[in-house]
Parts: sequence; structure tokens; C-alpha cells
Amino acid sequence: MDDFFFSLVLAGISVGAVYALVALGLNLTFWTTRALNFGQGSLMMLCAMLTVYLAAQGLALPLAVLGALAIIAALGMFIERYTVRPALKGGGSMGWVVSTLGFGIFLQGVAAKWFGSQAVAFPDILFSAQDYVSVFGQYVSLQYLLVLAVAVALILLLELFVRKTVWGQAVHAVSLDPELATVQGMPVRWIILGSFVASSLLAGVAGILIAQIGGTVDPAFGFDLVLLGFVAAVFGGMGSSVGALVGGLVVGLISKLVGGYVSTAAEHAIAFALLMAMLALRPQGLFGRPEVSKA
Amino acid sequence: MDKTSRRSLGVLAAGAATTMAGPRRPARAQGGGTIKLGFTAALTGPFNEFGEGIRRGAELAVTEANRQGGVLGRQVELAEVLDDQLVPDRAVQNMRRILDNRNIVGLMCPSGSGPTLAIVDMVAADGRPIINPQAQTPSIVYPNGADKPPRPNVFSVSISNTVEAEKLAIVLAGFGRVGIVHESTGYGVTGAELVKQEILAKRRDARVTVESYNQRAQDMTAQLVRVQRAGAEAMLVIGLGADFAVIRRNMSRLNINLALFGTVGAVTVPYLEGAGDLVVGTKAASYIVLGRRPMPPATQKFVDLYRAKYGTDRWYGPDAANPLISLANTVACGYDCIGLMTDAIRRAGGTDKAAVIRALDATTNYAGASVASISFTPQQHTALRAEDLGMYEMLKRDDRVVLELKE
Repeated sequence: MDDFFFSLVLAGISVGAVYALVALGLNLTFWTTRALNFGQGSLMMLCAMLTVYLAAQGLALPLAVLGALAIIAALGMFIERYTVRPALKGGGSMGWVVSTLGFGIFLQGVAAKWFGSQAVAFPDILFSAQDYVSVFGQYVSLQYLLVLAVAVALILLLELFVRKTVWGQAVHAVSLDPELATVQGMPVRWIILGSFVASSLLAGVAGILIAQIGGTVDPAFGFDLVLLGFVAAVFGGMGSSVGALVGGLVVGLISKLVGGYVSTAAEHAIAFALLMAMLALRPQGLFGRPEVSKA
Repeated sequence: MDKTSRRSLGVLAAGAATTMAGPRRPARAQGGGTIKLGFTAALTGPFNEFGEGIRRGAELAVTEANRQGGVLGRQVELAEVLDDQLVPDRAVQNMRRILDNRNIVGLMCPSGSGPTLAIVDMVAADGRPIINPQAQTPSIVYPNGADKPPRPNVFSVSISNTVEAEKLAIVLAGFGRVGIVHESTGYGVTGAELVKQEILAKRRDARVTVESYNQRAQDMTAQLVRVQRAGAEAMLVIGLGADFAVIRRNMSRLNINLALFGTVGAVTVPYLEGAGDLVVGTKAASYIVLGRRPMPPATQKFVDLYRAKYGTDRWYGPDAANPLISLANTVACGYDCIGLMTDAIRRAGGTDKAAVIRALDATTNYAGASVASISFTPQQHTALRAEDLGMYEMLKRDDRVVLELKE
């Protein structure tokens, strides 16, 4: 295989897997509340920065990662309780857009104040940028493979959870009709809370994965990734796990291939062109179902 | 509110108290009093390495001037120090506010070409003298081209893209095929174009591939493989340190091994920290004075003043004997701007703007901290020459990365 093509494909799949994780995080809260957490980017940033901070305090890196994820999970609960739930009380309100985005900006400010606004070095997790394996004579970075493997494994696990477990079925029921689920005795409030925790954890993992690729993290980190994750979610079909994975990979791959073969200046623009094309031709996305409202 | 200077807040508070307590009168004392200077810079936000740096440099210069008895018997004061976070719109608002304070007699440009280009026309129209510490775009000083007269009241100690390109091209012209990867800002685009022109002027058969990226991109594979496919033997990165770290790590993942060069903005702490040992071998052009041993006296004095006040911090670096070379373009340039301004006021015998500009125009062999000898003329408003830049190489010594002056 051509080295040039192979490098672009590998990078496209790896960053696409991160977009897929972000898209899946957006899907999780969309299932339960029809709301998206636009503060996901700040959670990605904060998780990576907390990992650096905890590691600098002397914690072993795995413990630092777990500690950071625990804090991010708690923030997920906070977001549901104080930024989304109040906004959803007024039926049909879109206040959650502003409140989640606003909370994300608040987190950026807190991080800048607490950790400083400079980019800080993010440690290598498991592999360094120099570690690689040779596949059919091609140089394949282990960091890219790690990102891909973790992202795909998490997405598959979540899909299995939703399809094969009782709690997963409960999440599905809440996504279809929360009022009926409440009548049936399901702990809808807890399921919604859990979806925000899981969504935040996915954002945290995505933040750590992408931070080790770049090598640095700063308070503004993550915002672009949420935009691209959103593109992936809409492209694949809002609410579809398979759609999130396919959408993320397609956005990542096409961006890199266009950047490589056409122009690097068009690398990001093509993602948004894909979004517009999908909204025009198939608004429900590749794997989404059209919304039907009963009179 | 962008106000950050405690002293300025104090002045405002005192003014407010006076206004409330008695008959209406101007909030600030007219004439006499302190010599008031002002500037806006990225004091917070992701680029505060530069803005906070020039603030520290300016404060050191003011403290030093006042320690020596002030200027013309008056104390010097940074009366307006505002934060723009490198956002041009905020820089414009801040500069408008500064210019509305008629007691401000001298100005310093913001960090970064974007904010500086945004404010420079209004300052040119105002006419008060301003000195540019960091912004690299040549049109800040020479809006109609380097062969045309400069803006009368705008001076610069920064590393101009033109001079940096000249210096880098001397080395890069040694390669037949060169890749330039630059950020998609005015600084990056102008810098890439100038370096390309300089390389081609020195070596007609050179092939130069130019690729751009957006700041904070987390993966640069497309740019790098395009440079690799073009057969580049050397690559220059024009951008900031954090992005340079992403590029260097990306090169490693793709097993791309080219002679790697960076600009002064790229070879900063975020690059050293973000790329770790991968930085070894990187070469960059930067101010020469901090690499000289012994340093010129004015540079050594500045270094000592900085270390005495701030210690071996992020800007200075961990080695007390060998400050980071980037200290010159993050802090020393701000120190020089205020030093040059107070020197001109002293020679002008007052703060009249026309007299101060004439004095700046007559500056001859001023011993700066970032540039060893600074001279201006009515036609020459930039302090830095190609010989004021050195080529540094990053090496590992005693388990620590150091920049060693090579040429």
C-alpha cells in the first residue's frame, strides 16, 4: 500500500475514533433528555489537565487518570442537576444549549485560573510517540492504535450494554417515552443522571486519548473536538451508536484524505461541508430514524 | 473588566473618591506628577506567555528607572495596563481607552501581530510614540513596504518576519527541497511567504513546499505527509510552541526524520515541555545576546534583575546561570521598549510627543537587553538586524535540553 495513503488513513481512523467517542457522549444524553451537553469539550480539557495535575502531585499515572475521571463523573452529575434539569422544566425550552455551553466556558475559566492558561505537557500513557509496530512493512504508531482500540472497545461495550442488559433496555425505554417509563416504575431520574455521568466519562477518556497524541493541553483544548464530534453524531444519525462510530470514522478519514490529496486548508472545512450535505439530503443521518410526532 | 494594574485601580479609585467627595474636577492630575505609560497585551488567556512577559519586562524597566531617581526628576508609572487576551477587538477597545487618557505620554504595542495591526492605525493617527516589542509583521512599522517611510510614531524592537526570514533562509538554502509548515494566521502566512522568497532568492533551483494548519490542531498528519511526499530534506515550522510540539510528536509517529527548524515564536517552553526529548536536534533563529558568554552588560543586568524579582520561573527556566533564550522575546523586549521610551523622554527634556519622537529617531547605540545596540533614524524604525539573531540548536546536556548558539 502507498505510504502516503496509509498514513492518512491511519491518522484519519484514529482521530475519527475520538470524534466517535465524543459523538457517542452527545448521543447518551440525547437518548435520555433530548439535550446535548455542549460543555463536553471543557470536560475533555479538564480531565486531561486534572490528570497532569494529579500526576504532578505524585500519584501514579493510572491513579491520576482514575482520579481525574472520578471528578469528571461528579461534574457530569452537576451538569445534569444544575444546567440541564432546570432548563428542561420549561417544556420545549432550548435553554440547555446556553447553560451547558456556559458551564463549559466557566470550566475553562476555572482551569485557566487554577492551572494557568499556558499549554502544559501531557504524559505518554502506555506508549510514546516513538513506539510503533510494523504491519505489512508499514510503520504504525502504537499511540494511534491505542486510541483506536480504546475508542472502539468503549463504543462496542456501550452498544452491548444498551442491547443486552436490563439497564440498557431501561435507557432505551426512557429514550422512547420517559413518562411511560416512570409509570412503569423505572428510576428515570437515575437513568438520566447515569447518562450524563457516562457521557462525561466518555468525554474524559476522549480528552486523555487526544491529549497524549498532541502532547500538550491548555484551557481552550477540546472546543474544536466537540464541534467535530457533533458533526460525526449528526452525520451518523443522532442517537445511533453505530452512527456515531461510522460518522466519526468517516469525518476523520475524509478530513485527512482531503487534507492530504487536495489541500490542508480544506481539512476542517470538508467536515462541515459533510454536515451541510447530510442535513440537506438526509436530515436524520446515515443510521438515524426520522422523528415522528403524533398529533 | 480588563483592568489589571493595581496601581491603575488605585488611581481610578482615588479619582472616584475625589469626584464623589467634592466639586467636579478631572479624575487624574494634569501635568507634573508621574510620567505615565500604557499598553494592552495578552495578560491572560492561552497566549499570556507573551503578554505577561512584556508586562514583567515593562515593570522591571520602570522599577529600574525609578530606582535611579526617575526621568527628569519624575517617577515613571505604568498607568494603563489592560488585558486583551490577544483578541484584536479587545485590543482596539483597550487602546481607545488608553488614548483617551491624555496623560499617557508613551505606549507599547500589544503582543502579537493581530492585535497590533488592529490598533496601529489609531495610534498613528493619535501621534503619540509607540514601540512594538513582539509583533513580527513588517507592515506594522512599514505599511507601504520596507523601501517606503515608516509610520512616524511607530518603532520596533521585535524580530521582524523580514529579518527572521533572512536569517533562516541562509541556513535553509543549504537544502534543495524545503517544507514550510505554518499556522494560518497573519504571522504564519507572512512569515512563510517571506522565507520562501528568501530561499528562492538564494537558491533558484530550491523546491519549497508550503502547508498551513489551524492553531491547536491535534493532528498534523496531512501536512507532514505532504511535505514528506514532496521530498523535503528540511522543514521549518512557523507557529507557536504548543503546535510545534504536536508537529514534532506527529513526525515521530510517522517516522519522518527531517532537519527541523523553528521560528522564535515556536521555540518556547510549550515546545520544550510538550515534545520532551524529541526536541533534540531542532534548530531555531532567536535573539543572539542571551546565547553569548559573557552576555553583553545590559543583557546581564536585565537577567539579574529578572532573576532577583521572579527567580528561576517558567519564563527564566530552571538553570540560574543560563536563562532560556526565549526570555529575550517574551520579557526583555518589553523591558527594552520602556527603556527606550524613558531614554527618549530624558533626551527630549519633556513628554511632548513630537519631541519624544524626534529623540527616538535620534536613538544611537542604545544598549538594549534583547538587542545589543539599538539605533533608529527617521527612516529606520526597526532595531533588529540579521546579525542580532543567532542560530541555536537544541542539545541534551546533563539530562537537560539546552539551546546552544551555533552561528
